[in-house]
Amino acid sequence: MAYQRVAIVGAGITKFVRRAQETGKELAAQASKMALESCGMTMDDIESVSLGTAPDAFDGVHMKGEYLSDGSGGWRKPYMRQFVGGGTGVFAPIHGWYHVASGMFDTCLVVCSEKMSSCHPHPQGAFKTIFDHTTEQPLNPTLIWIFALEMNRFMQTYGITKEEIALVSVKNKKNAMDHPAAQLPMEITVEDVMNSETLAWPVNRLDISPASDGAAAIVLASEHVAKRITDKPVWIDGVGWNLDTAYWATRDLYYPRYVEKAARMAYDMAGIKEPKREIEIAEPYDPFDYKELHHMEGLLLADRGEAVQMLLDGKTQRDGDRPMCPSGGALGVGNPISATGLMKIIEIFLQLRGEAGKRQVPGNPRCGLAQAWGDLMQVGTVVVMRR
Amino acid sequence: MGLTEKINRTDHLSYFEGQIPVEYVYTYGLGLEKFFRAIKDKGQFLASRCKACGVTYLPARSFCERCLGGIEDTVEVPGTGSVYSWTVVHLNMDETPKEEPAILALIDMDGTDCRFMHYLTGVKAEDVKAGLKVKPVLKAKKDRVGHIEDILGFQPV
Ligand SMILES: [Zn+2]
Repeated sequence: MAYQRVAIVGAGITKFVRRAQETGKELAAQASKMALESCGMTMDDIESVSLGTAPDAFDGVHMKGEYLSDGSGGWRKPYMRQFVGGGTGVFAPIHGWYHVASGMFDTCLVVCSEKMSSCHPHPQGAFKTIFDHTTEQPLNPTLIWIFALEMNRFMQTYGITKEEIALVSVKNKKNAMDHPAAQLPMEITVEDVMNSETLAWPVNRLDISPASDGAAAIVLASEHVAKRITDKPVWIDGVGWNLDTAYWATRDLYYPRYVEKAARMAYDMAGIKEPKREIEIAEPYDPFDYKELHHMEGLLLADRGEAVQMLLDGKTQRDGDRPMCPSGGALGVGNPISATGLMKIIEIFLQLRGEAGKRQVPGNPRCGLAQAWGDLMQVGTVVVMRR
Repeated sequence: MGLTEKINRTDHLSYFEGQIPVEYVYTYGLGLEKFFRAIKDKGQFLASRCKACGVTYLPARSFCERCLGGIEDTVEVPGTGSVYSWTVVHLNMDETPKEEPAILALIDMDGTDCRFMHYLTGVKAEDVKAGLKVKPVLKAKKDRVGHIEDILGFQPV
């Protein structure tokens, strides 16, 4: 395949909070400005813009791409919005990658902004309308319930306990203590997770990420432009995405096959033969604690049913052999849906540049990935990055 | 996702209220129309089989998602199945507690390649396990309107 090589050259992120006074477009503008300033660029240097943002129902504006366009730098630019639910934040940079890789543009500003708090009494009300209106909505399911079904199946299949899974939450919320944008940094114990309120067994309050407001942005550039901007470009070497059956209940819930297909697509493009060895650091999507383990297996970073052992052995700690969610993840930094995925991309960008500060993992990693997951629990999006 | 803190006070922020003032009138579509008519009139579960792919869809569908081939014929299946996974739900959508925790399950439907999401009735949470055989509980015929809630839930066989 012939395409331009694409680098991430700048990044910006707002603080993730439960309720921002800023509007979604103001959050987008703050993150975008930060990303541009981080690499000494202005909107004059930006040739195209890609916006990622999740359900229109969060804002009650059914043209959310247009609504957020001013804050995202869309004014008089080739501007596109895309949306694959929770997978959006890693799909947006893939979308931006296409803009540049195709040769159509040399730069692209990728922005992800989410304001969930406008939705009352709870954003779960908006999530209800992601279900089939004839066969599912009348049963009043929430996302927490269907994740509970998946978590239970994952536990049943491999004999994993709630206590073991809770260690992911403990790890990620602690990692978030070093993240300046974090909403829920905290030092907790497995007992705290176990004793937190049961929402839908086996899911407790501290097993899950919060609803959040926040935005993130990155600047992409083609190789010849990137080399003028920075001596530390981080290359997008592989992209992949995949969608499983629309009948989500029919999938094998214990294994995210669509994540595997997305990962294999990205690995093939990046020339990765042994992901367990070659992917040194990863940000798997962790809206619930079990999802980090589930996704490590789908990403082929652990054998099936074995991710939990890596966790128990401490390998996924920031100073472990294979750090997972060194940022603090959705569990710790927060989960403003689309912005979460881009936050993960930014974490790998900073880690590969050695600029993650207190969060920096040891060993000077050269290759990492970020992954997100969404739609009705059946889309996987993956980006592989190298320095 | 879920809240870890509940915002009940918004008085320190400037805000106003809004809504999307629409309602929806949904058609069942060509496939589901057959399914819900059979539930209403006969208490039967109708599935659709794509012969090319060997996949049996429940509820009945008018096309196959794998090959996009049309499916005209329906086949009756028993409506029984076995529990694939389950959860015990404690909160409503607005995070108010449920009067009684409810058991929501995914059920592998016999004779099909599909699962139903529905509630379990007549069983205690501690007695549910993967593989538990269940059968549907329908409303009385006179009360059925052709809706997913014509099925009250599934109970152990
Ligand atoms: Zn077919």
